[in-house]
Amino acid sequence: MVTLFIGGSGSGKSAYAEDYMISLSEQKKKYYIATMRVYDAEGEMKMERHRMHRNGKGFFTIEQPIDIGKAAEKMEVGEGTVLLECISNLTANEMFAKEVPETEEVVVAKIVKEIETLSRKLTHLVIVSNNVFEDGKVYDKATTAYIRAMGSINTKLAELADTVVEVVVGIPLVVKLNNDR
Amino acid sequence: MKLVIGGYAQGKLNFVLRNYDVKTGRIFDGEIPEKIEEEKGIVVINHFHNWVRVNIAHGGCPEKEILAFVEKYPDCVIISDEVGNGIVPLEAFEREYRERTGRILVELAKKAEEVERVICGIGQRIK
Repeated sequence: MVTLFIGGSGSGKSAYAEDYMISLSEQKKKYYIATMRVYDAEGEMKMERHRMHRNGKGFFTIEQPIDIGKAAEKMEVGEGTVLLECISNLTANEMFAKEVPETEEVVVAKIVKEIETLSRKLTHLVIVSNNVFEDGKVYDKATTAYIRAMGSINTKLAELADTVVEVVVGIPLVVKLNNDR
Repeated sequence: MKLVIGGYAQGKLNFVLRNYDVKTGRIFDGEIPEKIEEEKGIVVINHFHNWVRVNIAHGGCPEKEILAFVEKYPDCVIISDEVGNGIVPLEAFEREYRERTGRILVELAKKAEEVERVICGIGQRIK
């Protein structure tokens, strides 16, 4: 089963997704796939904040900033419930890892394919993504390509997902339920 | 307390004026008044996010101040833009402002008896 959570910065989406994970799998092994690359003190603080929130909730953390499919190799075979956080970092990492940015088509295809494959190996995959679409600003070419890639990935993940939930000021709003189309 | 959120220019204040009994002189724009004359009905804080921004810029603690205010005026209405739905800004202050505004709204939503999300002038009751 696949569940997709989407929300803006500071929307409370991570906290909500983590609590949802716990409600799913109190007993089973829970994995947390972290995609954030830490460059500075601010990133360090952000990571620490997330880590503290997860503390004591029994998550096994896997760092996977790119090549998300490889996260499967770091898990035990069997029943697994996984929280993947988050698509915005993963997309930025895939797109801007090299000197020349990767095209949005390549990035979208790679991420969607790898997540699809990963989801088939798991009991439940919970994905957190970001709403980066509504600030009304005009950006440079690379950032615009990134926003388009995010939109496209979110759309495809929502198709793959059984349930899609938007988190607004910490409140879950169901967008798609039980594989509705 | 009621929390009304939504995007820019979605008619949030008009929604509040249509649906709640608000008297003139009780609407505060981007400010949290220190003193309010008592017994005059609902207090509305419009453009709450602007107050958060100024407060952070002056090194304040909007998280604490707004909770104290809400405790004092439990019937107030707080109107705020949703500011987190975009690309993470390059400037550190802008990032901090967005993040803290979002988290304050999450806390206010927990406390609120009602949360409305307004789009095209229409409110969706989400709590």
